[in-house]
Amino acid sequence: MLSTNQSEKCMRFAGICLAVGLLIEALCLMWATPIAFIVFVAIGGLLIFTGLVVYLYSVVSTPAVGD
Amino acid sequence: MPQATILIVCLVLFSAAVIGILAARTGFTAGRGGKILAFVAMFCLPIFCGLLGFSSEMQRSKTTAFCLSCHTMEDYGKSLLVDDPTHLPASHYQNHRVPVDEACYSCHTQYAMFGGLKVKMYGLKHVFIYYLGTPPAPQDIKLYEPYNNRECLHCHLGARSFEEGAVHNADPATLPAIKANQLSCLSSGCHDTAHDLAHLKGAKLWEKGN
Repeated sequence: MLSTNQSEKCMRFAGICLAVGLLIEALCLMWATPIAFIVFVAIGGLLIFTGLVVYLYSVVSTPAVGD
Repeated sequence: MPQATILIVCLVLFSAAVIGILAARTGFTAGRGGKILAFVAMFCLPIFCGLLGFSSEMQRSKTTAFCLSCHTMEDYGKSLLVDDPTHLPASHYQNHRVPVDEACYSCHTQYAMFGGLKVKMYGLKHVFIYYLGTPPAPQDIKLYEPYNNRECLHCHLGARSFEEGAVHNADPATLPAIKANQLSCLSSGCHDTAHDLAHLKGAKLWEKGN
């Protein structure tokens, strides 16, 4: 189990990964070239995936109220 | 930029902003409502945006402009404008026998299970070679495998001009051989002028096509 402080850190890290991943996605959508597709999948996709995994980890590792 | 793409970009930016706020103020997520908001913003929205964006990118990767955005493909783009009805890609492009916006993909995809995925993988390989390798000269580019009649028959099968064509029916064995891919549409001396880059320099181009 993560402490509340650690959980908040995890949540913050996940949020940063997701926000940056989504910003990269938005940029790639406005930039219609083959390299944009690669950046979208390789960097944006990886950041979003990492953010989702870290977020879920922070959720399941946070002790429930009363634990 | 198409309106759909603008909407997707707006949704993605909105999601990024909400996630940014939640990441900066994690205290919001302490209560029950905050937890639900965080779940929607940090799990549901990114997946939704990711899938929407991926779908949009995949759709865009089928466009003629996307294929021709590589310098190596410039001559192939020009060959679509050759003013010669026997030039197969040009006659298909100019007469809208293929969607003009997806001209390359329409003929160069594979109409089979996972065919679309396979050609996308070829496309990724092309991007890799273009940026990190040594791209071949346009005239040296070859197909990965001989052109399959299946791709032609995807549209032409059942069409009157194909089924009742005089040459196709001159010999009763011709039509079944074409349908079975035993007699190639392109390399049997019939419709064999495709992207003739060697003669592109002197060729007359259809001006209105530009």
